[in-house]
Amino acid sequence: MKRKDTVKLISTDEMEFVIDKDAAMVSQTIRNMLTSPGPIDNWVFLGGFAETELGEVTFPEISAVILEKICQYFYWALQYSRGKETEFHIEPELTLELMMAANYLHT
Amino acid sequence: MGAACSRKRDQLDNVDGFDRGVSGRYCKSGSSKWLATTFSRPVLEIQREKKKCPSLLELCTHKIREDIDNYVSFSTLPRDLSQQIFNELVKSQRLTDVSLEAFRDCALQDLYLGDYPGVNENWMDVISSQGSSLLSLDLSGSDVSDPGLIYLKDCVNLQDLNLNYCDQISDRGLKHISGLSNLRSLTFRRNSAITAQGMAALSGLVNLMKLDLEKCPGIHGGLIHIKGLTKLESLSIKWCNCITDADMKPLSGLTNLKSLQISCSKVTDFGITYLKGLQNLSVLNLEGCPVTASCFDTLSVLVSLLFLNLSRCNLSDDGCEKLSKLGNLKVLNLGFNDISDACLIHLKGLTNLESLNLDSCRIGDNGLVHLTGLQNLKCLELSDTEVGSNGLRYLSGLCKLESINLSFTVVSDGGLRELSGLTSLKSLNLDARQITDAGLAALTSLTGLTHLDLFGARITDSGTSHLRNLKNLRSLEICGGGLTDAGVKNIKDLSSLSLLNLSQNCNLTDKTLEMISGLTGLISLNVSNSRVTSAGLRHLKPLKNLRSLTLEACKVTANDIRRLQSAGLPNLVNFRPE
Repeated sequence: MKRKDTVKLISTDEMEFVIDKDAAMVSQTIRNMLTSPGPIDNWVFLGGFAETELGEVTFPEISAVILEKICQYFYWALQYSRGKETEFHIEPELTLELMMAANYLHT
Repeated sequence: MGAACSRKRDQLDNVDGFDRGVSGRYCKSGSSKWLATTFSRPVLEIQREKKKCPSLLELCTHKIREDIDNYVSFSTLPRDLSQQIFNELVKSQRLTDVSLEAFRDCALQDLYLGDYPGVNENWMDVISSQGSSLLSLDLSGSDVSDPGLIYLKDCVNLQDLNLNYCDQISDRGLKHISGLSNLRSLTFRRNSAITAQGMAALSGLVNLMKLDLEKCPGIHGGLIHIKGLTKLESLSIKWCNCITDADMKPLSGLTNLKSLQISCSKVTDFGITYLKGLQNLSVLNLEGCPVTASCFDTLSVLVSLLFLNLSRCNLSDDGCEKLSKLGNLKVLNLGFNDISDACLIHLKGLTNLESLNLDSCRIGDNGLVHLTGLQNLKCLELSDTEVGSNGLRYLSGLCKLESINLSFTVVSDGGLRELSGLTSLKSLNLDARQITDAGLAALTSLTGLTHLDLFGARITDSGTSHLRNLKNLRSLEICGGGLTDAGVKNIKDLSSLSLLNLSQNCNLTDKTLEMISGLTGLISLNVSNSRVTSAGLRHLKPLKNLRSLTLEACKVTANDIRRLQSAGLPNLVNFRPE
């Protein structure tokens, strides 16, 4: 896969997740960043250090375990929209933190 | 009715008397005529469920709902999230006095607990802990009593307070809310304990814009206390039969009033004269008041008046020439009055009229000639009049008509071709025995129809062939007894249908259920008094949107339907036999 078709999401504890751009765009917040004409401002707004060309986003408020779950959701949502309607499992202990992240990501 | 049906913040906004509050009613077992008393037929607004990917936020909310007993506090969450969880718990009826504790100090803004089971005094502590954040509180139908309202003193920013049907609240409770001067909307429907004395507590609510005291029989003399509430835009004191002319006097200075409902009170023409200065009044409901045509003198100076309900006022032709002064009106309800064709001539000039209700008036074909100039008319109610086929020609030029009710008139098949050019028609009620298959042939051009009521019409299988092109039909009722399975063939492809009533056709069998199994948009289905059996129920499994199923007097038991429900119709909430 070409590098520009992926994007790297970095958690506050510096764990990196490389996922398809399509999947990341499930998040309205990330979509706005990737499609906005002036992306640099948005990266700064997000508080990340990533450069546009690298397609990296850092989330200073989101831990690795939550970010991993979010990436799983992105792929689950893609499948769902293609007609594969399965259950998405959420561990009870993650729910509140995940909810806050989902709210932030408009997901 | 489930609590979920009454949770809208704007639930007080509907102009009672001008629409029918039938939300939540998916089924009727009789003719539509007797469902309600005022305007236009009930329009079933139905939203088909679209399969949409749930957001992660929704999934988290649902997860919390499932595990709610494990959460001690949501106060660390941002407010919009705890609000979302709260709303979800209320919607799914999972909120209890125990789980409510987790919402202490969450700074919630809206607590819609109307008709929620179990709400009482014990809930008030957590409610008041929202403090100055709380903007809107609905406790309607709860057991909260006077001392419970003391808790609201801390909620100084409260704007909307709904205490409808709270039987335990009296004058003493009102006192506790007298300091909530940010209140914009206060509603106290059906409270027999409130008296004029208690209403003194309202005098400080200077920001009040909406006050609803419907069905409060003890408030005579109390309106003096709202005299100074000059921001008031909407006041309902309907069904307060204690209200007299004297009660109108304090209203004379409330010049911001836009809506006033005093139906079924004792107000006469004299009382109406106090309203002369209400230059912003656009809605006036006088249904069932002992007024006469003399009040039209006063009403004609109300330059903003658009909606006027005069139904059941015992009006006669006497003096009704004064109706011609009300040229601004858009909606006029004259139903159930003793008026005849001679009165209709005075409606000629009311060319702004969009809706006219003449239900059960003594009018006939000759009167309708006076309506030909009402080119803006969208809704015309002629039910239970002497109108027949000859009158319909006067309607054929009213091309904006969207809704006509001709039920229980003497209109017969021959007249219906006069309607064939009214292509804006969406709703047509032909619930009358003399309408037959031949009449339907004239309706095939009305492809915009979404509601067609042929409840008592004598429609047989051959007549249904004329319905095939009415692809936009969302509700259809054919209950005249003449239909067999063969006729249902012409109905099975009307894929927009969400309400279908084929009851009283005693020859319909399970074959009918099989044929309509493709109508997956159906929300309400009635095939009562037929030969349908429990064996046919399996055909209904694809009808995933079905909420109401009525199969009275069939070979079907409540348990049969319950089995069907659990086997795959989760949305079914209303069924008979039950």
